[in-house]
Amino acid sequence: MRWILLLLSLVFGPAQAELSYALQPKQIADGVWLLEGSTDNFSPANGGNIVNTAFIVTADGVLVIDSGPSRAYGEAQRAAIATVTDKPVIALWLTHHHPDHVLGNQAYEDVSIAALAGTRQLLAEQGEAMAENMYRLVGDWMRGTEVVLPTATLEAGEVRVGDRVLSLLALSGHTGADLAIFDTRSGVLLAGDLLFYQRALTTPGTPSLDTWLADLDQLQALPWTLLVPGHGPVANNAAPFAQMRDYLGWLNGVLREGAAQGAEMNELIRAPIPERFAGISLTRYELIRSVSHLYPRYERGVMTRVDQ
Amino acid sequence: MDLNWRSCLLLALLAAPWESQAAQVDPVPSVMWDYYHARLLDGAPFVFDKRVRVQVPPFAEDARQVPIEVDASAYDGEVVRILAWAELNPIAQIFDFRPGEQVRARLAIRIRVEQATPIRAAVLTRDGLWHIGSAQVDAAGGGCTAPSVVRAEAGWEERLGQVLGKRYPLADASRLRLQVAHPMDNGLVGGIPEFFLNQAELRDSAGNSLATLELFAAVSENPTISLEVKGEGTTELWLRDNNGNEFRAAF
Repeated sequence: MRWILLLLSLVFGPAQAELSYALQPKQIADGVWLLEGSTDNFSPANGGNIVNTAFIVTADGVLVIDSGPSRAYGEAQRAAIATVTDKPVIALWLTHHHPDHVLGNQAYEDVSIAALAGTRQLLAEQGEAMAENMYRLVGDWMRGTEVVLPTATLEAGEVRVGDRVLSLLALSGHTGADLAIFDTRSGVLLAGDLLFYQRALTTPGTPSLDTWLADLDQLQALPWTLLVPGHGPVANNAAPFAQMRDYLGWLNGVLREGAAQGAEMNELIRAPIPERFAGISLTRYELIRSVSHLYPRYERGVMTRVDQ
Repeated sequence: MDLNWRSCLLLALLAAPWESQAAQVDPVPSVMWDYYHARLLDGAPFVFDKRVRVQVPPFAEDARQVPIEVDASAYDGEVVRILAWAELNPIAQIFDFRPGEQVRARLAIRIRVEQATPIRAAVLTRDGLWHIGSAQVDAAGGGCTAPSVVRAEAGWEERLGQVLGKRYPLADASRLRLQVAHPMDNGLVGGIPEFFLNQAELRDSAGNSLATLELFAAVSENPTISLEVKGEGTTELWLRDNNGNEFRAAF
């Protein structure tokens, strides 16, 4: 009997404990801090903390970049910020509308929440459904989480925040509205989900893989010294760009050749994944998703009207 | 609960008779199997059969367009009829396919799922036995009751029945892949009555039937269908919806 109790406590113990994100801010440049998430999938074990968020401490206060996957994350993020600076939070910027980046917005309702116009529109359209799905994927961590829309609009160009000049790029390769933030002083490039590293990229809203590749060219041309991907470890070299191009090119080829040969979706989701991508997490899972998102376009591209 | 070696042995002995019936153990246990066995197969003799391959993604990324592929070509020449259904769907039935001599016992199509569900393909061979292939697809759901994508596009009425397609040569047959512009309204979205393609027939150049296909409203909007036909001759696909609109496409 004691064995069963012990087993039950092992199985159910963690769920009964207080759910808390152990967020540890890590300084990656002067005044620039990172909260690094895992490269795993959403699960009840990680509460959706699979994302990188950041904050920049300026002379006037703290600028937060992305609010994480839940209300609890947003609150934990704000508490973590207070452990390294006494300055108040003055604004939250969102890189794009995906749930793991914006569902902590409730913790910032007292400050300006800003995003590209397209991001606001996509969040208004898809936010509720995405939040619902997050409840399904990570469970109780989501308690009390609701969608909060941005209150201010960002545009491409240079923006002064306190003593910092930030260069904003309005791109579209990942979701249709993707913000990248380049800190001109430190050389840190906060690329949002235009850059994944050691974690398979996700394609639910991409206009096209070619658009994404063109965005990467723009980002790589900046005078960056440190890359912060939306998912995966930071890098001080161009390895994340090389990996992105390699993976996007391979994915493009799988879909294009599949369409040319008349492959079914169920054949493509089982396509072999090259050995060189072995170090990237969730490649099979994301291939299944990408085939679902993108293959219909490739199919239509090779078909012709045959009705009479 | 003191499990000593005697009780372990007892359990092993009790379990043994089940092993011998392994072929009749449902590979995707479902509370609805008995119901559909009675309703769709009239309770006729069946076997769960791995040679009927049902391929689905492990999860439905888009619950409105879930690709399924049924391959019973292991029984080519013996197959009379293939039924497919999504066991936990509000509209369960997907298709009723009768491939003739010239058409492979294989079909790929996309469907809507409302929740995680077993997918079944029941293949009737000439000896009167149903061979049941099974798969399980996980899903966040909502695919059946989601608002129509087709109806949100301006001018969809003008495109109704347009067929995009391509014929792909295989080693000993041709694969016909096609997509028909049709909203496939299933009656589950408020204020929009059922309006869907429910009949199709593949014919040779002389107009003889090569295969017939009955479709149900579980099939996705703009149905994507893939068939394999033997021989080189041109074929015609005839389609009709439940409003009586007829469409034709040539491959």
